[in-house]
Amino acid sequence: MFHWLEKNPFFFAVAVFVVIAYAGIITILPDFMNSARPVVGTKPYTVLELAGRHVYIKDSCNACHSQLIRPFKSETDRYGMYSLSGEYAYDRPFLWGSKRTGPDLMRVGNYRTTDWHENHMLNPKSLVPGSIMPKYGHMFSNVADIETAYAEALTVKKVFNVPYDEIDMPKLGTFEESSKIVLAEAKMIVDDMKSPEVKAAFARGEIKEIVAIIAYMNSLK
Amino acid sequence: MEMETIRELQAYGYAFASVFFAGIFYAYVYYLYTSKKSGRKDYEKYANMALNDNLNDTPVEKIEPLQEEKQKRSNK
Amino acid sequence: MQSSKIINYDYSVAKLFAIATIVFGIVGMVVGVWIAFQMAYPELNNLANEYGTFGRLRPLHTNIAIFGFILSGVWATWYYIGQRVLKVSMIESPFLMILGKIHFWLYLVGVVGVVVSLFMGITSSKEYAEFEWPIDIAIVVVWVIWGIGIFGLIGIRREKILYISVWYYIATFLGVAMLYLFNNMAVPTYFVTGFGDWWHSVSMYAGTNDAMVQWWYGHNAVAFIFTVPIIAMIYYFLPKESGQPIFSYKLSILSFWGLMFVYLWAGGHHLLYSTVPDWVQTMGSIFSIVLILPSWGSAINMLLTMKGEWQQLKDNPLIKFMVLASTFYMFSTIEGPIQAIKSVNALAHFTDWIPGHVHDGTLGWVGFMIIASLLHMAPRMFKREIYSKKLLESQFWIQTTGIVLYFSSMWIAGLTQGMMWRATDQYGNLAYSFIDTVNVLHPYYTIRGVGGLLYLIGFCMFAYNFYKTMTVGKEIEEEPHSTSPMAA
Repeated sequence: MFHWLEKNPFFFAVAVFVVIAYAGIITILPDFMNSARPVVGTKPYTVLELAGRHVYIKDSCNACHSQLIRPFKSETDRYGMYSLSGEYAYDRPFLWGSKRTGPDLMRVGNYRTTDWHENHMLNPKSLVPGSIMPKYGHMFSNVADIETAYAEALTVKKVFNVPYDEIDMPKLGTFEESSKIVLAEAKMIVDDMKSPEVKAAFARGEIKEIVAIIAYMNSLK
Repeated sequence: MEMETIRELQAYGYAFASVFFAGIFYAYVYYLYTSKKSGRKDYEKYANMALNDNLNDTPVEKIEPLQEEKQKRSNK
Repeated sequence: MQSSKIINYDYSVAKLFAIATIVFGIVGMVVGVWIAFQMAYPELNNLANEYGTFGRLRPLHTNIAIFGFILSGVWATWYYIGQRVLKVSMIESPFLMILGKIHFWLYLVGVVGVVVSLFMGITSSKEYAEFEWPIDIAIVVVWVIWGIGIFGLIGIRREKILYISVWYYIATFLGVAMLYLFNNMAVPTYFVTGFGDWWHSVSMYAGTNDAMVQWWYGHNAVAFIFTVPIIAMIYYFLPKESGQPIFSYKLSILSFWGLMFVYLWAGGHHLLYSTVPDWVQTMGSIFSIVLILPSWGSAINMLLTMKGEWQQLKDNPLIKFMVLASTFYMFSTIEGPIQAIKSVNALAHFTDWIPGHVHDGTLGWVGFMIIASLLHMAPRMFKREIYSKKLLESQFWIQTTGIVLYFSSMWIAGLTQGMMWRATDQYGNLAYSFIDTVNVLHPYYTIRGVGGLLYLIGFCMFAYNFYKTMTVGKEIEEEPHSTSPMAA
């Protein structure tokens, strides 16, 4: 029976492939459509938030922070309402993480402010004595990549029909229109910040990474 | 088709597949372990492939050049 | 066939990959030890601006260790074992020879691309699949070249039956190809819109689906890189080094097909209590338990191969490495299923017990097996004795101590953290703030760092031993049949 396969490499390979592909088809496909449906009220990220999300990914924040609240009392007490599948409908990629060296950030926007993040990113120990999080001073000097964020938003709108520009949804428009919206959004954050460096840059029309990532953090609710 | 019906079919499919594969598996185990006794095949000789693996060692089962094989078949 | 007396096996590609294995091994482990100490002493994060933070270095560690060290090891052994069990030399086919060399050099270019892009923070954030699409494409090309190499060599073989190891190499090739392709499906944003960085892409799947595909990949990348090809190695090297045929060829057939079928289901155990459908979680949990059977099937087959020959454990350090490797394989394949039980997972998930578990497998099973394999190959590739047995003995004990420190500290750290997260006071309020659960771990992070350092030291001793074997080891005339010769 199978022994015959060991003499026939081609059919052997086919058999192996069938056996290993089986599980993926059975477990992933059936609920694919269901899992992709957003919860009512979930909105796609604005371009500035998306740029912040890119900063989050660039520095692999997800290596130490999860974005998944499990349905246990100890977790809902600490982080808020447990996660629902539809809340992630616009997360490409998902950022659940696999390790909590630091706390979960799924709903960090509910209990932390722009001011708090600004100080914390500069020196985590100043707010949380004993923290082992690195300092992220470079976010105050690196400029956020708004153009790539715009490209991503436009791509998901075109390819995956993400509802940008629809009623009650974030506006995208052309790159020029989008840039204006981004600046207006960034201004609200910069106004709440103290760093003269960031303020001076914003006056020149530059948005630093720290502004974008705070916009993203504040959007996590 | 209704989602309910699809789910039901999936469940039947799954139950059938489980029993089917388990059946095949145990049949194969039985087949393998009775092979030597019934003289069908001694599988354990293949273990020597790792031990006698010099280029000059005789293969456990030599691969035959195509023509020889064809001749053999026509002789039968 | 008449001319077979003058031709020999050709190990030039195997040698290249063997050296790459050692170099990437050292680099990957140095980064690993470094980030381990960063967790104990966070000041170490800010020595090189953004390029030295834990977040940037962690993907470098995992990727260099997996795709640099382990994969090179897999290929080094393939280009060695493949020829031998198929009884055909690469020298007989100039095409395969050139292909093998292209495979190596292209792979090296890919690794450089990976290192540079990860340092720059260009990542898709999906664990063990961090590379952006241009590198993904390069990897696919390398992979296809290897595939042609495998089936090309099989095509000109003299031995009709494929030996057990070859099955596992084929499975590695197919499994990783399938997983990698599906998990990295992404749309390059620049080519759709004309804006932004050209290398940026966005995942084809969103949210929960993305998570399912990622952990279907993530778990089985472990299967097809940490397990399957390493089993290929032990099925060849343990019998060959000990001179004992494998205990049961039949059992190896059963465990092979069992492993192939069961492994792919278990990915769901990374997503217990998440938002993926309950039945997928339960399935992941159950199949993880079932997975003990085929895993132990192989491991027991290995240990029984040594039946009646246990004195070799005392006399031959390579046997010692391999037997300990299969013991660690049994250990991590029982630990994994335990962690996959839902109630245990509720405690263990997100804690340090998980990296602890991974490292039992990678340091104990994969690392030891690769070390033993390369040392078995060395006398045959370079026609020289292994340089020093004593060095090898001390390396064994230093590394074993390192592993024990690593997993024991991570056990304690993980359980402590998990218990503290859920602890409540008499009124039902959370007893600890998050930072309490971080501060309590400092001693365990330090012990883990020391454990990793010991393992690294041992690995450097191995590198030295290998280098000396290559250059000044005593020359041998005839290829040893089983036990590898080594100078005291």
